Amino acid sequence: MKFSFFHLMPYPYLPDDFDEKYDSSALTYPNANFDPKLGSALYARYLDELEYADQLGFDGVAVNEHHQSAYGLMPSPNLMAAALTRRTTQARIMVLGNAIGIRGNPLRVAEEIAMLDLMSGGRVDSGFVRGIGWEYFGHSINPTKSRSRFNEAHDLIIKAWTSEEMFSWYGDNYEYRYVNLWPRPLQQPHPPIYIPGAGSTETMKFCAERRYTYMSVYAPTRIVRRWFDGYRQAAADLGYVPDPERIAFSVPVYLADTDQRAHAEARPVVEWLYRKGLKQTAEMVTPPGYMSPGSLRGVLASGLRGLGGDYDELRANGQAVVGSPAAVAERLAQLYDELGGFGQLIGLFAIGPSTHAQVMRSSELFASEVMPALRPLGVARETAVS
Amino acid sequence: MADVAPAEEFLQLAGGRVHLLRASASPAGAGEPVLFLHAAGGAGQWLEFHDRLAGAGFDVIAPDHPGFGKSDDFPEVEAIDDLVYHYLDVLDGLGLDRPHVVGASFGGWIAAELAVHSPHRIGSLTLLSAAGLRLPDHPVTDLFLLPPGKLVATLFHDPPRPDPAQAAPAPPPGAALDLDAIIAAYREATSLARFSWVPFLSDPKLERRLRRITAPTLVVAPSDDRLIPVEHAKRYAATIPGATYAEVADCGHAMYFERPAAFAAVITEFLASHPLAESGVSR
Repeated sequence: MKFSFFHLMPYPYLPDDFDEKYDSSALTYPNANFDPKLGSALYARYLDELEYADQLGFDGVAVNEHHQSAYGLMPSPNLMAAALTRRTTQARIMVLGNAIGIRGNPLRVAEEIAMLDLMSGGRVDSGFVRGIGWEYFGHSINPTKSRSRFNEAHDLIIKAWTSEEMFSWYGDNYEYRYVNLWPRPLQQPHPPIYIPGAGSTETMKFCAERRYTYMSVYAPTRIVRRWFDGYRQAAADLGYVPDPERIAFSVPVYLADTDQRAHAEARPVVEWLYRKGLKQTAEMVTPPGYMSPGSLRGVLASGLRGLGGDYDELRANGQAVVGSPAAVAERLAQLYDELGGFGQLIGLFAIGPSTHAQVMRSSELFASEVMPALRPLGVARETAVS
Repeated sequence: MADVAPAEEFLQLAGGRVHLLRASASPAGAGEPVLFLHAAGGAGQWLEFHDRLAGAGFDVIAPDHPGFGKSDDFPEVEAIDDLVYHYLDVLDGLGLDRPHVVGASFGGWIAAELAVHSPHRIGSLTLLSAAGLRLPDHPVTDLFLLPPGKLVATLFHDPPRPDPAQAAPAPPPGAALDLDAIIAAYREATSLARFSWVPFLSDPKLERRLRRITAPTLVVAPSDDRLIPVEHAKRYAATIPGATYAEVADCGHAMYFERPAAFAAVITEFLASHPLAESGVSR
């Protein structure tokens, strides 16, 4: 099992009347509510936490991209990754990922990831995401083109990284007469790719065909199980059993010295994450064309609507793992079984308004007591297929 | 008002099938054709408004846009310029040389673009609070971000209140959703977004091209348009050569849903005073 420390870099200082006054923490939540002095201190604190995770022995430190939102303060994950290249030494630097569906110039992403790979000595993992619904409003990108843009940007970036000859690109969304990437990435043929999935069978197949890591987004266990099984099935259809490390389970994790203390501290921050951080309207979640009619039908029929936000229900559903080190290790081993196995755990250790001291303590306990216990799980013993 | 039942037809084009409703109180072939281009809502619906135009003797032809109602998706129709060629194909397919063209909201935008592109194909032009202009000082409300309740409140001057005596009982919690209805609405929103997400419901070049329009033109606005500010209709009227402007009182952007009689009256009067034999200048 590999373990990574994922950071959303939230802006936790929401006003007391947030619930009544605003229908989302993103897109329409006024930026007058952003205090630059607090924001500057947050960046310093959050980078310290990621660097500490490297020192603690996490296998990876992870950042992602969000726009116009208090939920996550990283419009440019590559800037954060650049900072981490100079102040971490061991951990993979995981950009999970660049929202290539909404980027105007995907060649720029190829260039920046190649730079990061060189700067980090080949420690970069490159995630690609479509960008979530509200970002298609925020960056005025047509959501009906989302999948087409994502697929084309992906193909272009991979070709730009791997081609040693200049080429031209004429696609539905992008045109380049000269693609001739300087610099090229250090890892060959290119940095490992991570793709988050939320039920789309196209995505499962896309990842299985290319041996990319398929990572879950926050959802109840029974639904994540269906996604992981879908990915395993897509691989089986291609005639192989995926390395467990190609399956990554994402979940918020909170530890304290005792169960009682952990729950007392985690309850408000987990509820903040799901009720406030992720608060958005149906229109923001699924702008027209962002999902295919078939995928929308599947999502509606599966009952994956709204994220609820009741603390005990979230824990029961495997959308937050909380407790003493022993309890967390036990619960994660249980989820490992319920999900049919996975080889990577992407933990959100800095949850909503949790304090710096809480995050540091939680990740220390995880690294020292949970990682050793879970390390043997999810190792590629079953990959030997004929 | 004659109660004229519409006939349902399908027109086969190279890219797919167009569904349309058509009716006239006049004997077959006698009514002047009116191509009616529906708003973002209203595909496949034959309402009192249509009935009144048909009842006045016009041959009302109401196709569903690509990706709306029972028309096919026409995936190659990606933007407003493609819609213009699509409707030129529709005119040719229906054998309409130079019909009256009436367009509402999104359909009004298509009508205006069609008239700019092929002025000689338009007998007369009627724009009902048409989208299509980019007026940064008078932005169009982002209907894509409006939840259903707010959308209704935005579209109507006097939003319909459900009659408690007649309203269906609220579905019990956990009741099955009407998935087909949700998917159908999402498909139409997706089609609208395909054509108009960005530039948002507009063609920045349209305004400077409006001078090309040669057909007699009527621009109608509802008095209380909370979706497309009335300045858009006024700009159309001021820019299209010889256009006349009219307002319908106590009415929201839903127009022919909210005041069908008033809209039908102002339009039939205009159409009757511009018979096709006399109107327009061929280029």
